Amino acid sequence: MTSNQAFALALRTLSRNRLRTFFMMLGLTVGIGSLTALSSVGESTKQETMRRFKRMVGTFDTVIVRPGAGRTRGMPSLTTVEPSLKFDDAQAMATEVPSVRRVAEVQNAFDIDVKYRDKTASPSVFGVSSNWTDLRDDEVAQGSEITDADIQGLARVAVIGADVKANLFGDEDPIGKTFRIADVPFQIQGVLASRGAGPGGGSLDNLVLIPVTTASKRLFNRDFLTMVIAQLKDPEQGDRAVEEITALLRERHHIVPPAQDDFTITNPRAAMARVTEVGSTLSKVLTGVAAMATVIGGVVIMSLMLIAVSERRTEIGVRRSVGASRTDIMIQFLLEAVTVSALGGIAGIAIGAGGTTVATMIQQLPPAIVWSAIGSAVLLSLAIGLVFGLQPAWKASNVDPIKALRS
Amino acid sequence: MIEMSHVSKTYERRDGTPVAALRDVSFSIGAGEFVTVRGPSGSGKSSLLNILGCLDTPSEGTYLLAGEDVSRYSDKERSSVRCRRIGFVFQSFNLLPRTTALENVEIPMVYSGDRVDRAKASAILRRVGLAERAGHFATELSGGEQQRVAIARALMNDPPLLLADEPTGNLDSVAGASIMQLLSDLHQEGRTIVLVTHDEQVASHASRELLLRDGMLVSDRQQALIHATP
Ligand SMILES: Nc1ncnc2c1ncn2[C@@H]1O[C@H](COP(=O)(O)OP(=O)(O)OP(=O)(O)O)[C@@H](O)[C@H]1O
Ligand SMILES: [Mg+2]
Repeated sequence: MTSNQAFALALRTLSRNRLRTFFMMLGLTVGIGSLTALSSVGESTKQETMRRFKRMVGTFDTVIVRPGAGRTRGMPSLTTVEPSLKFDDAQAMATEVPSVRRVAEVQNAFDIDVKYRDKTASPSVFGVSSNWTDLRDDEVAQGSEITDADIQGLARVAVIGADVKANLFGDEDPIGKTFRIADVPFQIQGVLASRGAGPGGGSLDNLVLIPVTTASKRLFNRDFLTMVIAQLKDPEQGDRAVEEITALLRERHHIVPPAQDDFTITNPRAAMARVTEVGSTLSKVLTGVAAMATVIGGVVIMSLMLIAVSERRTEIGVRRSVGASRTDIMIQFLLEAVTVSALGGIAGIAIGAGGTTVATMIQQLPPAIVWSAIGSAVLLSLAIGLVFGLQPAWKASNVDPIKALRS
Repeated sequence: MIEMSHVSKTYERRDGTPVAALRDVSFSIGAGEFVTVRGPSGSGKSSLLNILGCLDTPSEGTYLLAGEDVSRYSDKERSSVRCRRIGFVFQSFNLLPRTTALENVEIPMVYSGDRVDRAKASAILRRVGLAERAGHFATELSGGEQQRVAIARALMNDPPLLLADEPTGNLDSVAGASIMQLLSDLHQEGRTIVLVTHDEQVASHASRELLLRDGMLVSDRQQALIHATP
């Protein structure tokens, strides 16, 4: 028997016993469908989390150093941090830590009043180094970014976020205009491209960038930093960089453990991994239930096939009498089981993928047809058919044709 | 074509006691013969036919089919012998349900390794007089018609040897007579036929009769051929 003939025979048998075929497929369809939907929704959520996370931190080849012991979460601000992290510390990181390529110095504060004519807004103001846009993976949509010359010259220039532009200028072109940050006049030389929403859902565009030197000496009058972003030579070396920077800062700040550090280092890549690794308990339980449904689907296939073998003893006897070997019979029944489970799996995948598309649309997540999930669902259903078809096929091949043909 | 020498078949009952279905049976059948096997119930007729048809193997003795010792063949080898060289017809017609007459006839083809040849199956169905019943399901056919389909199925791979175990046993005398006529015609076309029967009337179609009793061959006699009249 050629494989085409064997396959055609399996399909014909299945289509002649529609009701039985339907029940054979049902369990597997439900199981595989739920597994596909769950893993696709999970993957979609994970991708969205990752996207938002990346939007917030910019790139994943950095570690972030903040002053203080790190009890507070969220963005630091000049008004809330300890004055322990200095410009010299940042320079030392750049020059003395082998795994660090370069650093960005940041001095920022929230809710600063800015004014343009009769309009006001209260964005966050960031004093930054010229490499900020690079390290944050920010893009200047219009005009130019903060330059080294701006830093050295303590220039009163600013690059504004999309929200600030919308609030203060509307449709007006802001480039070259002068506005006031806490009553100090600054000239706008650039507008940042929008970053959209962060992990918490808040806007990432409500900010103004100015040279860090200007911020320190002309606006805030503070000599400490709120944040140092250290870019790594090798993005994989985050943990080593954390160790090296810790050692450096402890030495510079004369901290000897067990005394508490006056700084905190976060590694976005590691934090990211933690966030996305942990699936919710609910989704784990659901996945377990779906896996169980899949296995039960396999057991149903096995039971119905075993009954079918008893009912089809005459057929087996006839086939044996006209030249089928035991192997031929075995293959025939195994192929039926695999075909029915593959069909059940495919139906499940179709339903699961459809359900996922609906769910992601409702939750406004990116549509996630996860090919790896679909691939493993196909393999799983084939495997189920093979495993649970084995016993019925074995039983069929052992039917004694002589007894089956008597009566 | 067939050479049985000292063939015995012993079955084991469920309780383990042995049953001798055939004892030391020896005979040979030449190509083109029409042989009936008669004997009382339980005398071993079906057991003999199953061995002849390579569905079963002798417990002792040898069975040569066309010079080959098929009694030592593996399951796979015996299957291929059944496929190419033997056609089986049973008392209960054993057509598959939910399958048309034509599809029943086609079954043996997939095991021969040849391409499925629907035209050939139709031709054979025509040969047994059922051309217009090709699309009917088995349940829609009379007993005589079902047996004709079964014979057509047995002929599908052109086997030289046709084995029939009481093919008229479930039929009335008219239908039985027409089946016997068909088998006689197939014999005339050159096929070797071995037919198990209780019925002396049926046995009279054959040129030779083997008589079994208690698993032993007690008589082997030639007889004049009587052609059945329709
Ligand atoms: N599978 C088996 N297991 C045990 N005993 C068997 C088996 N098959 C046949 N027998 C026994 O072997 C003997 C011969 O059986 P067989 O079927 O060959 O007889 P038969 O001549 O065909 O009878 P009938 O005319 O009733 O069909 C009987 O006593 C039967 O009970
Ligand atoms: Mg019998």
